[in-house]
Amino acid sequence: MSDTAMFAMKQVSKSYGSAYTLHPLNLHISRGELVALIGPSGAGKTTCLNILAGTIEPDAGLLHIAGKPASSYASGKHLAKAVGIIRQQFDLVGSLPVLHNVLAGRLHEWGFGKSLLSFLFPQDKHIAADALNRVGLSDKLYDKTSHLSGGEQQRVALARLLVQQPQAILADEPVASLDPARAEDVLAMLVRLVQEEQLTLVSSLHSVHLARQFFQRIIAIKEGRVFFDLPTADVTEDHITDLYQLTAGHGMDER
Amino acid sequence: MSSKLLDFHKKNILTVLLSAVFIWSLFSVQWGPDLFHPGGQAALGQMMQGLLQPDWSPAILRLALSAAWTTLAYAVAGMSLAIVIALVFGVLASGVLASTRTARNVQVIGFRGALGFMRAIHELVWAWLFVAAIGLSPFAGIFAIAIPYGGILGRIFADMLQDVPEEPITALRAAGASRLQLLCYGYVPIAMADMLSYLMYRFECAIRSSAIMSFIGLGGLGFQIQLSLQDLRYDQVWTFLLFLIALVVLVDMWSQLLRKRLVA
Repeated sequence: MSDTAMFAMKQVSKSYGSAYTLHPLNLHISRGELVALIGPSGAGKTTCLNILAGTIEPDAGLLHIAGKPASSYASGKHLAKAVGIIRQQFDLVGSLPVLHNVLAGRLHEWGFGKSLLSFLFPQDKHIAADALNRVGLSDKLYDKTSHLSGGEQQRVALARLLVQQPQAILADEPVASLDPARAEDVLAMLVRLVQEEQLTLVSSLHSVHLARQFFQRIIAIKEGRVFFDLPTADVTEDHITDLYQLTAGHGMDER
Repeated sequence: MSSKLLDFHKKNILTVLLSAVFIWSLFSVQWGPDLFHPGGQAALGQMMQGLLQPDWSPAILRLALSAAWTTLAYAVAGMSLAIVIALVFGVLASGVLASTRTARNVQVIGFRGALGFMRAIHELVWAWLFVAAIGLSPFAGIFAIAIPYGGILGRIFADMLQDVPEEPITALRAAGASRLQLLCYGYVPIAMADMLSYLMYRFECAIRSSAIMSFIGLGGLGFQIQLSLQDLRYDQVWTFLLFLIALVVLVDMWSQLLRKRLVA
């Protein structure tokens, strides 16, 4: 495994029941790359991301994360130092103040005692304040999280990732529940932070437009296979049309 | 097609059937003058009169106040202990701390069973058992409330923890949270508002139970109601009952205030 690989998949596959969700797949993502995963609903994007995140065990094949086999990450705490995840906006605990949601990114560093103490005397508060400052929410430190708008909540989730300090960020439709203007805003912020921290970003997206705008490389997945894997500049309209075209007997009944 | 139609009407057929059974059961009632106790009407009249003119004399008011205080004290002490029982057993019975599927099943079945045992026995029965065991001490009343209420609260807490939405928990796990950290940064804060609201409702019930409990001689509003009933002093009975109602209403108002603050 070369040092530059953040994720390396070799013949990784996954099936639910008899049908393949993901056909044997080879994928190499280097450190510092910005990769968008696009494709029709149910094509296997989320499964692919979940395998990269280590939350789903592949049926077969090898996955290396940051140069080490995925199975060598003994606990969630070790994996959390390598990979951070952001999904749609239902990821936060609405009843807690923003501060504690952001500090949850430190839980992999903290013991249980320190985590409990933090409810009374917030620990590492400057780290959280700094992260919130970078996502433009420095005044929301003590606000109840459920009072924030959808876009603001996604930025809180970004702040939590900053506090977590992983080497790579996996984003599963991170802006799917936002309106177009806010979606672009949050995605721009995500990409900027990833570049500032020199992290790797792999994000699934509904919007081809956003994928083109923010990412260097686009991987298209269709029916559990890589449909194309190209630098953004080389992706043509024909590619996109072919990707989203409904084929007879497919497209509607897949998961 | 016809089987689908049958499926569709299944509920309606059952409703019609059960209604018919209920109407049929009315025929087994022997309607007649013996259905009600003839002397009851006079007693009912006296009771209504008591409601219209409760005994507001200072001595009775003082007695009612101190009895209400005793009843409240038993309820608060019993509930405090019940909360401790419910939190420990409820968290374990929800299985959110278990590491493997087998451990989870063992925990869930074991602790749900224990909670079931506690609440299967009514607080009055517990009270008799404790009075028999440790005598007419305040502890008998407190334990008699704490155990069944701990069983009820624990079971509901376990359900609420199990019904917490998955997304925030998955996100916390991905951020490297351990199971105990998941509990205090995910499960408990998410379920807190519901748990507190149910707890306050049960506190109301505990006040009622505590009043009843005093019938077995532990003091409090129930004991005073019993004494006045034996003297056929319905006006006094109503004074004590109004104090009991006031207690429950006050707790309800407090719970509304708390919930508004938590949900807002």
